[in-house]
Formats: sequence, structure tokens, C-alpha cells
Amino acid sequence: MSGAEITADAPMSRTRAERHMPGEEGVWVFIMGDMTVFALFFLVFAWYSGQAPELFAASQATLNAGYGLFNTCLLLTSSWFVVLAMNAVRHRLDRQAAVLFVLAACCGLGFSVIKVLEYGEKIGAGLVPVTNDFYMFYYILTGLHFVHVVIGMIVVLFMALRAWRGVNLRTHLSFLEGGASYWHMVDLLWIVLFPLIYLMK
Amino acid sequence: MNKTAQYMCLWSAAVMGLLVTVGWWPVAQFVPPPSPSLSAEQIAEMFSTNTFGIRTGMLLMLAGVGFFMPFIALISAQMRRMEHTPPVLAYTQLLGGSMSVMIIIVPIILWTTAAFRPERNPEITQMLNDAAWLLVAMAFAPGIMQNLTIGLAVLWDKSAKRVFPRWVAYVNFWMALGFLPAGLMTYFKVGPFAWDGLLAFWLPLAAFAIWFNVMFIALQKAIKEQHEA
Repeated sequence: MSGAEITADAPMSRTRAERHMPGEEGVWVFIMGDMTVFALFFLVFAWYSGQAPELFAASQATLNAGYGLFNTCLLLTSSWFVVLAMNAVRHRLDRQAAVLFVLAACCGLGFSVIKVLEYGEKIGAGLVPVTNDFYMFYYILTGLHFVHVVIGMIVVLFMALRAWRGVNLRTHLSFLEGGASYWHMVDLLWIVLFPLIYLMK
Repeated sequence: MNKTAQYMCLWSAAVMGLLVTVGWWPVAQFVPPPSPSLSAEQIAEMFSTNTFGIRTGMLLMLAGVGFFMPFIALISAQMRRMEHTPPVLAYTQLLGGSMSVMIIIVPIILWTTAAFRPERNPEITQMLNDAAWLLVAMAFAPGIMQNLTIGLAVLWDKSAKRVFPRWVAYVNFWMALGFLPAGLMTYFKVGPFAWDGLLAFWLPLAAFAIWFNVMFIALQKAIKEQHEA
């Protein structure tokens, strides 16, 4: 966010050299608002975890950190694809960008498949949201994040469509940058969520 | 004429806010909400000790919710001013708003029914109270439709002078997500996701308060700019 104060004083002209904040301001209203909500969820989780450390540690041990780690890699890779795609857009390689956006969405799909498998395994073992407080948070936090991933995949596919049809840097860049920022936020939230739920003692 | 009518619609929302808040909070004492884990006897006692307060508070809320309607109509009227924005969005917003008002009226009548004969079998009173809380706090679908249609309309607005600033769209999208945890109250009777919990009650309530104030200020500006030209 180091660019915020720069853009605040910048003139309305949207030359690339002056713009430091990607996307439009409104996207950042959403991202900051959403991260505040997640931060609140994380704090409540931490507080409940402190109330019953043995229960939380024992329940955490039943999670498969391998799934979580694999999903972390998938999301990081998809963020990387989005970065490459945005680079391609700036170099006027629109078709290449479209392919990269689709690859990013595919990583999101892989994440979703793993998530569904993981939920199925847990529910099959009788571990459901009402089992205990840890599982309540596990399902709700990862579920809320999952909703964000699904929305993000739809957004990224629209970005792919936009790129495939050709990008007008003057009118389309803020949509692409805004979508990319959102996708990175989804990635960032998982990077906090994964150690918090799967690993932290 | 149009300007005066629109300002009346705007300020009627303040009347709604005042009557609903006073009725719900200090008079009926429903804020903070009674825990869903309370026994039927405890709930029945609440209705038999504060009978007058609950009856009066509900009456104030009923008198207040009607004043939300002109505010919703005003949002749709301003949405219709947006160029290149499909009219269906304004109509869906209007429908969502109407349903939201309905969703507030029904639980008020349920609470009123519970307070009407507080001496009855406590389990019946508990059921009325359960239904009222689940309705008022969990029925988020119409509200989400309002948020999504307002957000889309703002993003599609191609007017030379935009009706609402674009960030208002993102506040609406954020609000749509902020409503979601309320749906979890169906599973829990204690903790942060119960209907008296931090994340299922206070978070959506705070999100609504933010949304309400943002829309109020944005509408006030939009009316002003509409009549300056």
C-alpha cells in the first residue's frame, strides 16, 4: 500500500508511470473490508483456541496437513500465473495472457477438488462442524475462504475471456488489475489460514 | 417537486432507523439478543416480566419499518438514472428491499404474539421466539440480492457524471459477503455463530450499519447533483 499516498495526490490522468495502486480505489475498499472481516474471524479462532488448547491441538492432529500444503502450492502457482498473465497483457500478448488466466483458474479448480475430497474424508470419519469448536472453525473458515475461491475462479475466467477478445489498456486494465488483486488476496488469506488451522500449536 | 419528494424518501430512512432502534433495543431489550441456549422457562420469563416493554417496542418497530420503503424506492429511482444500466437491476433491488421489509415485519408479529399471552405454555413461547430470531437474522437472501444489484448497476453506470461513486459498488459486494455468516446460526446455540454471537449477529449488524450510512450519504449526494445540473 506504499503507493496509496502517491496516487492520492496524483492527477486524474492515468498514465502508467504515475499509477502505483493497481485497479481502482473501490477494489481496495472491498479488499480491506474483506481482510478486516477475516482478521476478526482469525482473532476469534485464536481466542477460542486459547480457551481449550488441548482440544484444539488434538483435533488439529486429525487434519491432513499434506492436503493443506498441496493447496498452498496450487494457490501460489495460480497467483504466479496471474502475475505472468498481467505481464503478458502489458506486453500486448493478449492471447498468451488468456491462456495464463485459464491456467490460474485451473489451479483454483484443483484447489476445489482437493477441498471437496478433504471435506468428504472428514465427514466420512464423522468429523462435522458440530463435533467440537475446532471443527466448527475449521469448516467455517475454510468454507468461507472456499466461497472466495469459487468467486475468484469466475472472475479469473472473465479476465481470460476479456484477454482473449483483446485488451484495451486504457479501458480494461483497471478491471484486470482489480481482479488480479482480488485473486492475490484469496491467496494471501489462505497463506494465513493454512498455518493457523493446520500447523500452529 | 421531485427533489423534495426524494429528500423525504431519504430522511424517512432516518425515521425508520430511530423507531426500530429505540423499539428493539431500550424498550423491548432485545439487544443484545437472548441466547438461543436459554431454556423455555427462561424465555417465557423474559416475555412475562417485560411484557409491556416488548409489546410497546414491537409497536414502535412496526411503525418504523414502513419508513424503510421510500428509501428503497429512492435507491431504485437513482439506479434508473444510470445510463446503460439495465432496468431489471432497479426492479430486482426494489423486490429485494420489499422482501427485507416483510422479513422484519413477520418476526415483529411473532414477538408480539409471544408477548400477547405470556402465561401460556413456555415451550410455545420459546418456539415463537426461535422463529422470530431465525427470521430476523438469518433471512439474508433478499438483502444479498439488493447488494448485488446495486453493485452491478454502479459498475455498469456509463453516465458522464456517475450517479454513485464506483467504490459504493464494492461496499455493496463486501456487504453481501458480510451477511453470509448469519446463515450459520441454524447450526449453533452457543458461541460466535449462534444468533447472539459476534460473527453471526454483531458482524452482519455492523456491516448493515456501515452499508446504511454509505447509501444514505451517496443518495444525498446523488439527489443534490441531479438537481444542480
